[in-house]
Amino acid sequence: MKVPLHLAKEKEAQAVGFPPVAEVERQMRLLAEIDDYRKSARSLMVMLETCTKCGACAEACHSYLGTQDFYNIPAARADLFRKIYKRYFTFTGKTLSRFIGAEDFDAETIGRWVTYFYQCNECRRCAVYCPFGIDTAEITIAARHILTRLGVMPRFMTGIAANMTKTGNNMGIPKPAIIDSAEFMEDEMKEETGLDIKIPVDKPGSDILYIPSSADFFSNIDTMFGVAKMFHALGVNWTIPSTVLEAANFGLLFNLDVMKEQNERLRAAAADLGAKLVVQGECGHGWRAAKMYTEGAGGPVPFALVHVLEYAHAHLAKFKLSKLPWRVSLHDPCNYARAGDIIEQPRAILRACVTEFVEMTPSRERNFCCGGGSGLLMDEMMEIRMQLGKKKAEQVQELGQLDYLAAPCSICKAQLPHVMKHYGMEDLKMGGVMDVLGKALVWD
Amino acid sequence: MADYIEANGQKIEVDEDGFLVDPDTWNEEVVRIFAKVEEVSELTEDHWKVINYLRDYYKQFGIAPMIRKLCKDTGFSLKQIYDMFPSGPAKGACKLAGLPKPTGCV
Repeated sequence: MKVPLHLAKEKEAQAVGFPPVAEVERQMRLLAEIDDYRKSARSLMVMLETCTKCGACAEACHSYLGTQDFYNIPAARADLFRKIYKRYFTFTGKTLSRFIGAEDFDAETIGRWVTYFYQCNECRRCAVYCPFGIDTAEITIAARHILTRLGVMPRFMTGIAANMTKTGNNMGIPKPAIIDSAEFMEDEMKEETGLDIKIPVDKPGSDILYIPSSADFFSNIDTMFGVAKMFHALGVNWTIPSTVLEAANFGLLFNLDVMKEQNERLRAAAADLGAKLVVQGECGHGWRAAKMYTEGAGGPVPFALVHVLEYAHAHLAKFKLSKLPWRVSLHDPCNYARAGDIIEQPRAILRACVTEFVEMTPSRERNFCCGGGSGLLMDEMMEIRMQLGKKKAEQVQELGQLDYLAAPCSICKAQLPHVMKHYGMEDLKMGGVMDVLGKALVWD
Repeated sequence: MADYIEANGQKIEVDEDGFLVDPDTWNEEVVRIFAKVEEVSELTEDHWKVINYLRDYYKQFGIAPMIRKLCKDTGFSLKQIYDMFPSGPAKGACKLAGLPKPTGCV
């Protein structure tokens, strides 16, 4: 079955620790993996058992609304997993499978799983609308983890995993390039403000460890400026660890063990540099993984963990700001609004920094995903990505003229310019929230 | 299945996105082949300036430079880079320069 994304080749899957399982053994391995999950994640089994097909999730899902593909209805997507579970793990499924919607594993099962579990952005909007609280994102996460254990994963993910192993960040930026880029950004800020605003890398004895998204060292440079200017304004002792130039923990997207390894790297960096506070940058996925799984998956850590927007918000009264004459709206990254408790902070910061802040409808925990969430940024998926971004484009269109759309997450920042261009809004300026704070700060 | 392009009578391996698998297999003929794929109408001195800058940076640092740095050091605005390389600095210019495709949240 043809799938809409490039799968990792055998060599690539093997290189990140997941050698592909032979075709003839796939069914056995898939069932063994489900059995493992069954024992460790009862919550997942409850979700598989309770769906009544009421349909409340269909119109809540931007993936279904944008693609109009039946299998992108959250309940139908989850059913791809549920049918196999019922067939092989429930009494009625084993005996009366065709009466209860159970289904045999067949040649198409893996292809269908790849196709549809990689058209779910894991945004959790369906969970807000499901009367039982079924969270399809959890089912998608489980399905992707199981596929990974079979050696089946997007090439995009193995590329990132290989970069993470080599350099500690998704983009694969080595330490000399990190230092060169930090110096370049310092020069740029000097040119703009006349001040010596530093971006210290690996500075021993730092109080704060700042974890950017590696994209802030490639395309989202203004976000990094905003953060450096904020720390400068507060006069705090901070640094960026070259070993963790990455807020995102891609373990969440394809494997729990990888996630634990990356947690360990963060713990080591904080210990080495002496930091008691870790501030996570503008990365939705990264924040969800950090907040939920740093201690949740890896055990207690000897530092406090906050998000940069929480941190900036807590210090807002200390900043000298001059409001920018802009009409601005906020796209709530799903992982902040539905999985990370960052909802009011970006709004308060934006209101303090610009003359007009407008809400899109719906917003906060009911906001629609940008369509790139959960790492669906592959070029070969571009047509589907534009369908996944359709609801977001409509929401922005309804707002009329905007000077800036704030989207404080690297995935949103990568996805939204394509979406806006596709739907005829290519002149719209976009970026993070910290970018705006950086521009509104005034210096004596 | 590996994909190949033919340049100067040699088979050179490319990945699914059409980027060189090994940056050392790059040559000027590769640039001309990629230029067609990425809708670069004519290769001018300005194109070569960007391509050579990217190659030099990659040789020194093992990665593509920050986009803003590319603009600053070559003296071209981001718009001019897009005019020269319609698929952009990451997908277009890096490909012609034989660099691996920038990956991650970009």
